[in-house]
Amino acid sequence: MNTSALSVSERLYRRRRFRNALALILSGLATAFGLFWLIWILWTTLVNGIGALHPHLFTRMTPPPGEAGGLANALFGSFIMSALAIAIGAPIGVLAGTWLAEYARRTRLGEAVRFLNDILLSAPSIVLGLFVYAIAVKPAGHFSAFAGALALALIVLPIVVRTCDEMLQLVPNAMREAALSLGLPQWKVTVRVLWRSARPGIVTGILLALARISGETAPLLFTALNNQYWTANPVAPMASVPVAIFQFAMSPYDDWHALAWAGALVITAFVLLLSLAARWYLHRTRIK
Amino acid sequence: MNQAASTLWQQWVNVGTGSARHPTKIAVRDLDFHYSGFHALKRISFDIPAARVTAIIGPSGCGKSTLLRVLNRIYSVYSGLQASGEVWLDGENILAPSYSINRLRSKVGMVFQKPVPFPMSIRDNIAFGIRHHEKLKRDEMDDRVEQALRAAALWDEVKDKLKHNALGLSGGQQQRLCIARAIALKPDVLLLDEPTSALDPIATGRIEQLIEELKRDYTIVIVTHNMQQAARVSDRTAFMYLGELIEFGETEKIFTKPDKQQTEDYITGRFG
Repeated sequence: MNTSALSVSERLYRRRRFRNALALILSGLATAFGLFWLIWILWTTLVNGIGALHPHLFTRMTPPPGEAGGLANALFGSFIMSALAIAIGAPIGVLAGTWLAEYARRTRLGEAVRFLNDILLSAPSIVLGLFVYAIAVKPAGHFSAFAGALALALIVLPIVVRTCDEMLQLVPNAMREAALSLGLPQWKVTVRVLWRSARPGIVTGILLALARISGETAPLLFTALNNQYWTANPVAPMASVPVAIFQFAMSPYDDWHALAWAGALVITAFVLLLSLAARWYLHRTRIK
Repeated sequence: MNQAASTLWQQWVNVGTGSARHPTKIAVRDLDFHYSGFHALKRISFDIPAARVTAIIGPSGCGKSTLLRVLNRIYSVYSGLQASGEVWLDGENILAPSYSINRLRSKVGMVFQKPVPFPMSIRDNIAFGIRHHEKLKRDEMDDRVEQALRAAALWDEVKDKLKHNALGLSGGQQQRLCIARAIALKPDVLLLDEPTSALDPIATGRIEQLIEELKRDYTIVIVTHNMQQAARVSDRTAFMYLGELIEFGETEKIFTKPDKQQTEDYITGRFG
């Protein structure tokens, strides 16, 4: 090998190193750009919210302007409606996802349903709220917590269908064949082996759906509306944290603003904890 | 079984390649297999002797796995796959629509290339299949689980952690667990589809030793890519090429004086 050949390879190597460094710097900058906004948002929420945090937040009702109060009725309403929405959306979603992955894989009908589900997944949530308004609120003649839960369930449904479908498709075919080769019928293979195998993913999907709906405002505006008082009646209007934030943040009153920030902080912390719980659960079940 | 079939079966069992000690367990006759327009198996006929190890060898895509997957009709899970011809197991045609898949699979167990323990405890991996076919009391079930694990040479390694998740076992242990799971149903026939191709040499050695022990009680059919393995573990060898059964006979003969040139070319490494 002569010296000019060496310098050619040296030059090639240098150019590769330069490209590598450039790509690293660009991707690092992109990451920093994304993180910058996230941290700013979290910081603003934290700074504004933490000042308004008070035990009363969890014990008192939403106040009229100028009086002390909390978000107890809104927190309770969010809890009830989110729980109802998961109770409606998750089982239907798991069953539909199972049908897609196990019984309708590579069929035309299955592909069509999967496509429609993706449309529902990306449908603006305000459209879902209007839809529920038209089918549940208008005929009944009044707003209700149940209508709010229904609108939220329509958000939960496609997320759960999608994750359940994908998680089941990730289960290796060898697992199905191994279970079937023991002479088990397909329903038993699905329920006892495949669901168990895909469970961490499906549970994570449900938790993430819960995180998603706990911050949704638009679908609740024309369905559950709002309520200044404590109610557990599912056919009456019910308060929720996002709608309370919306109402309070739009107001001219400083004490309402403070409550809105506190509510925002509580929701953000809840969603963050939920995501962490989902990750922890995934991690734990993987290692075991 | 009707009279004619019964007579035919007696002929195969006694006069065919079967012998008094190792009568024919499975007789494959004129088996054709198609999927999406592809003719994967072409008029395959041969006899699998009882309590022996029969190896199926051949280059990738020759149809050896397909043939194995017909023997417990696991192929029928997928649509568009079609087997025609006859496969007689103990004198009954398992390809007949009237033959219950449930019954077939309790008689013919299968172990796959990749070890796939179910995501449950070691004990439940074994008990799960049994529970579907039999109602056993707890202590009877414990006995069955122990029997199966002992037969698969896994008992000593797992007896203190039967409640642990089976996914924590090593690859070789997982594969022996899959064998235990299959033999826990007390099948007559054990199908092994490249059971060691995902394992290291030591784990492979243990499985091969296990096959040697299991053939006393089970009729074993093994598909393998590894010709040395076929030569080591099997009594009969079938060589397949492009969907046809080229040659079938005593393993020693196939590996020393094959009748067909193609067989010789393959086992001496001239193609494949």
